[in-house]
Amino acid sequence: MALKLYQSEFSIERDVEKCISCQVCVRQCSNDVHEYISENDTIISDSMKCVGCHRCESMCPTGAIRIEEREPHFKTNYNWSSGHLKNIYRQADAGGVLLTGMGSDKPYPVYWDHILFNASQVTNPSIDPLREPMEIKTFIGRKSVQQQYPGCGPGPGEIRDTGKKKEKNGPVVGPQLELSTPVLFSAMSYGSISFNACRALAEAASEFGTCYNTGEGGLHRDLYGYAPNTIVQVASGRFGVDRQYLNMGAAIEIKIGQGAKPGIGGHLPGEKVTEDVSITRMIPMGSDAISPAPHHDIYSIEDLAQLIYALKEATGWSKPVGVKVSAVHNIAPIASGIVRAGADFITIDGLRGGTGAAPQVTRDNVGIPIELAIASVDERLREEGIRHFASILAAGSIRSSSDVIKAIALGADAVNIGTAALVAMGCHLCQKCYTGKCNWGIATQDPYLTKRLNPEVGKRRLLNLLRAWSLEIKELLGGAGINAIESLRGNREHLRGIGLSEKELSILGIKHAGETW
Amino acid sequence: MDKGNIMSNDSIDYLIIGNSASGLAAAESIRELDGQGRIVILTEEEYENYSKPLITYYLAGRISAGRIYLKEESFYRENNIGLLTGARVISINTGNNSLKTEDGRSFEYIRLLIASGGKPIVPEIRHSTAGKERKKNLERYIDGSNYGNIGGIFTLTTLKDAIAIKEYIGKNKIDNICILGGGLIGLKSAEAFLETGMKITIIELADRILAATFDREASGIIENTIRSAGNGIYTGNTIEEIFTDNGRISGCRLKDGSQIECGMLIIAVGVVPGISITRGTGIKTSRGILVDDHMKTSVKNVYASGDVVESMDILLGENRNIAIWPLAVRQGYVAGNNMAGGEKSYSGGFFMNSVEILGIPSVSMGLTNVEASGDGSVEVKKELKTDRRQYKKVVIRDNRISGLIMVGNIERAGIYAGLIKNRIDISGIKQDIFREDFGILHLPSNYRKHLVVGEGIEV
Amino acid sequence: MRGKPGDEAMKRIFIKEEYCLGCRLCEIYCQVKHSKSKKIIKAFKEELVDVLPRVLVEEIGHNAFAIQCRHCVDAPCVAACISGAMQKNKNTGVVTCDEEKCVGCWSCIMACPYGAIKRDLVGRKIASKCDLCEDEDIPVCVKNCPNEALEFRDTGE
Repeated sequence: MALKLYQSEFSIERDVEKCISCQVCVRQCSNDVHEYISENDTIISDSMKCVGCHRCESMCPTGAIRIEEREPHFKTNYNWSSGHLKNIYRQADAGGVLLTGMGSDKPYPVYWDHILFNASQVTNPSIDPLREPMEIKTFIGRKSVQQQYPGCGPGPGEIRDTGKKKEKNGPVVGPQLELSTPVLFSAMSYGSISFNACRALAEAASEFGTCYNTGEGGLHRDLYGYAPNTIVQVASGRFGVDRQYLNMGAAIEIKIGQGAKPGIGGHLPGEKVTEDVSITRMIPMGSDAISPAPHHDIYSIEDLAQLIYALKEATGWSKPVGVKVSAVHNIAPIASGIVRAGADFITIDGLRGGTGAAPQVTRDNVGIPIELAIASVDERLREEGIRHFASILAAGSIRSSSDVIKAIALGADAVNIGTAALVAMGCHLCQKCYTGKCNWGIATQDPYLTKRLNPEVGKRRLLNLLRAWSLEIKELLGGAGINAIESLRGNREHLRGIGLSEKELSILGIKHAGETW
Repeated sequence: MDKGNIMSNDSIDYLIIGNSASGLAAAESIRELDGQGRIVILTEEEYENYSKPLITYYLAGRISAGRIYLKEESFYRENNIGLLTGARVISINTGNNSLKTEDGRSFEYIRLLIASGGKPIVPEIRHSTAGKERKKNLERYIDGSNYGNIGGIFTLTTLKDAIAIKEYIGKNKIDNICILGGGLIGLKSAEAFLETGMKITIIELADRILAATFDREASGIIENTIRSAGNGIYTGNTIEEIFTDNGRISGCRLKDGSQIECGMLIIAVGVVPGISITRGTGIKTSRGILVDDHMKTSVKNVYASGDVVESMDILLGENRNIAIWPLAVRQGYVAGNNMAGGEKSYSGGFFMNSVEILGIPSVSMGLTNVEASGDGSVEVKKELKTDRRQYKKVVIRDNRISGLIMVGNIERAGIYAGLIKNRIDISGIKQDIFREDFGILHLPSNYRKHLVVGEGIEV
Repeated sequence: MRGKPGDEAMKRIFIKEEYCLGCRLCEIYCQVKHSKSKKIIKAFKEELVDVLPRVLVEEIGHNAFAIQCRHCVDAPCVAACISGAMQKNKNTGVVTCDEEKCVGCWSCIMACPYGAIKRDLVGRKIASKCDLCEDEDIPVCVKNCPNEALEFRDTGE
């Protein structure tokens, strides 16, 4: 195929004055971009193969390499953008669905960046979190209404009498997941990411007192030790699900959808089902692991309720069972149905949520931003008086501690971080997860690449991230004069919009900056 | 020369005969356990603790006389070790734990270590004179007792020899040297002389040089290199007669009749354990002094180590004299440890040697002169790269490496030594042992883990 | 400083084979450390003709690891050394080759079961081996390993 209709996306600048021909770049690139020419002791680079992961740049001991994004050399056209042209060329070449990885990079509004957080001045004192107690501990699970006491019967709207923990003269609550910080790691399966990456997540969650999530890949036997900090997922493929698996986790999450690909199933090709993956997923080695688009036993809220209660029965009502859905247009009534179906928590994954592989057309065009979803779901559940029945976990591009605090003020109980966790471990968002050639050793099963992620290092970096965010969350809370994250939850008075329309403000349920109470 | 408190009348806690590799290792090892006990080393040499293998380097001018010493001058003082040089032991009385030196002194010991090393062999050679010397009454044969009477005939095992040779070469402008014996000492001497630009002639009784440690191919590479530099090698041959002129050697006649002129003759036929001092002591000997795995001799409180002993050859499974430096050090260390009340034991060793001739490094270890057996229990892998003067041979017996020759490229030879020493089953990696990049990563994983994780390792 | 007896004295480099990328940055930094200028670009562009890395990365497929002198308790190279150049420090246990004393007899190469000693042929024809970067807090190979596949810690741990 001599005809080349589009150019490389990156240019590889090599400073020959600095290059010492040590070949670290050659050895590190899984895309074979760099090649050593022994005749004249130089290295040449093929930018067409470059995916922009910056591994070589990071590893180069002399700083001789710079990977630069290249402006496309198509004639400027605001309608037919270079992205459109390139996609058409690629599709005309190959005739298939365009795949991509990670979350959508389209310039949709990021509401986090249009929301400002409040602080105390004079009328109530701010708090120094380094000197005064500050509570960010978070409980995930069914709460009771305040007036409810043993013997007083179920509260209004409560669907069924669940296995409540009865406390002497105290409120009745369901089983809770106790987290030291309102940040969990998103569901990422062993298969989509490497074992080392899973292990780093598990160890970090365990050490910090939060949870990671198996995704739909089952629980690797070497990670059983971290079970108390594991949310086990039950997805449409039901991979790796058995009674032991369910009982091992700290909580169970039924996965209906994922922000990056609402309505789409999954397909792990047979060649990636190695012996280890096959044991963990409980499927034959080499067989394709197909996750159907829907759960074929769930076509309604009533069906969902059956599964929720089946899982609760299977685990003796000992742990929270939640449901994960993508943020789609009707997310509020869907969430209401899920809560009414008995879920103890609901995970909402927004438009910009990540993935290991998704059709680009779905990822970039389906769903709604998580900010709007949190607000509308929280609002709806409150209106219906069932907000306390389930916790809300928000996901889909939480990029910083300020995103966390804004999500909580909008109404989430806690957030899930996937991409941020991977970035902490080295991910450079090249979006080529689906190729299995991740140069950072994360989204790959190639033993040559997976060893690049030392789980000890990964764990340390994740712990640092959790620690840093938790400290920042405390700073922000203290500034606002709040000494417990519980007091911020759904407290939208602490938020103001900036540069948002009336409609957006009303959906978010916040005032515009400058408006006072 | 006396160093330290030697002339006390008390019995010496640790008396050591020999001041080379083994004796010194023993002294250091004793000091590890016993900081107080009196240690005295006797040596018949005039020089302190110089390194015997370095004498050929000294001869070649590669190192100065000052660098031939193993230890700092302060070594004996710092470790409180007495040293008596020029003290040749002539008799040992194991009955009353004493010994006598040539100069009439006697020493009493509580524990004795014999680490007196080997002695060069000088064969009997017919001697003819030229010209007017005929009239003089000269020996008709030379041998070990009288070869020194003739100028230009030397053995080369001590620094004294090397200094004398150097002096003789300088004084008599020697540029043509015969070396009788193509073994390791002969070749080490050859290496030294070749480096100083002399012409040499090697005369070897066997059909090739280095016959004991090399096989035909390896010997061939070295022979070709020496020959192509304009030197002579006579194999399957020996000196029948030497000629002198004016009391100095002038040439020789070989068994095959050829006559060679030479200004110097180095006799390097071999070395035998110097066991004469054990005569009449009851210390059991064979070719060398017999010792157990604690380096104890058959007589109480008498230990022996180094080139003077016969010790366990792990490849043959029997005691044998293996006169090499690393084993001398190891044995000395074990002997000293046991003398001072320790419990270290010597696990045996095997032959290994490294020699470089005209820039070609070579290593041989274990039993190399072996061919494959019909039943497959002995496998031999060889690879000869004549153009690059490289050769590699691995002998595998019962799935374990028992011999190795590397010529030209000796990188990482020690990995094989480890495999031999630890008797590692290599059946899973036979296809790899000849790879250019053969390394730790190819080794059986258990052994590899042991190597990488294990802290200490003995070889 | 690591030259003194005590807790720190027995620090050694440990190899985590499973995390070695085979990038060879350890070799590169080792060369730089033992170069004249100790400046990477200058060293490689102008000086490196005579400096060998003292750590060696072995690689077969995805298996790789970097090995350097293990500073054995009972070091076979020290026993084999005929010149007294190879010495084990009594306090620190570090095995170093005194390049002034080394005569290049290669006995150490023959004895080292790790193959961790090399012939330095370009320079003075001496044995080249890891000195544990005794003037650094952490050996440069460890410090510059991007994946912490080399670890510098007490032997007791």
